[in-house]
Amino acid sequence: MLQQVLVVVLNVALAIHIGLIGISVYRLWRGENLVDRLIGADLVTTLMLAILVLIALIELNALYIDVALGLAALGFVGAIALAKYIADERMF
Amino acid sequence: MGYVWTILAVTAAYLALTGNLAVNNILVGVLIASVIALLLRPTRSPVELRRVPRSLLALLQYGALLAYDIIRSGLNVARIVLDPKLPIRPGILAVPSECETDLGIALSSHALSVTPGEIVVGVDQEGTLYIHCLDASHAADTIGEAQALRRRLLSRILE
Amino acid sequence: MDDIRTALAILAILIGTGFSLIGVIGFIRLPDVYTRLHATGKVSVFGVVLLLVAAALITPVGAGRAAVLILLLIIGGPTASHALTAAAWRAGIKPRGTIRDDLERDHPREP
Repeated sequence: MLQQVLVVVLNVALAIHIGLIGISVYRLWRGENLVDRLIGADLVTTLMLAILVLIALIELNALYIDVALGLAALGFVGAIALAKYIADERMF
Repeated sequence: MGYVWTILAVTAAYLALTGNLAVNNILVGVLIASVIALLLRPTRSPVELRRVPRSLLALLQYGALLAYDIIRSGLNVARIVLDPKLPIRPGILAVPSECETDLGIALSSHALSVTPGEIVVGVDQEGTLYIHCLDASHAADTIGEAQALRRRLLSRILE
Repeated sequence: MDDIRTALAILAILIGTGFSLIGVIGFIRLPDVYTRLHATGKVSVFGVVLLLVAAALITPVGAGRAAVLILLLIIGGPTASHALTAAAWRAGIKPRGTIRDDLERDHPREP
């Protein structure tokens, strides 16, 4: 009984997150300045992480969490590097 | 002494990631951790061994306090965002950190940044933190109080 | 016992999805860069953290990985959003509609 509720909840959450990614990509495209778009890109990375975790739960496969770990580390380093580039107008 | 703590922490992370407690795997983890510790060259141990139990207790208290702050202010931000009138009063406040070490300033600004509704914009030479608040009208007193409590716990963890 | 774990996981998934929704709504509705970072940088990170808690509850194999990822997110999320605010300040973007601005008062930007 609870297992069926879990499957329904997981699929609904996946659909909601995919819709949210669409909305934030549109908002990123219409962003007002550079930092605004960077925030949008960070938000898309976070939502992608959520989708990967949800797929791991639907498929019951922990391998997707490894993918999420790589994406989180890359997104963190990328956000820091781009923020430093905007602040100093050079990378190092 | 710093090397031992680095090796322990990295090995724990490796074992958590692989999820395999076989002896071979632990040996590989220790090997990788030793190489990383040699590359990192930690200068000194932040915690002395005989103070570990008290530090752990203070760390647990600190984590619980932080979790409570996060939940309370997360709900607050959710209410502000969902309100149709959008009742925000943003502002940048100056709060003295009153920490001597760089680690203390870093930890207290992390604690401030991790609670929704407050974000550290910058730190100046004297260690004053400039915090952007979503509701700056009566935030100055509450931030000061919360910070005093956190600072006491942090000093118990680190010393 | 299994039922309790599944029920807790369902609750965590629902609350986490709610946090993600609030993060995106805040990203759309809030007026400037600094206030938007409050919504996206943290509220949506806690959405992912709650989903990971659900993952740790249901799949025991993924618990260690989920714990490492939660630690990475809790340390890295605020750091990234602080880097973005500092970059916005250094790039000369002014906050909109502030009631007080101590940083402008103490350290006015060069024209």
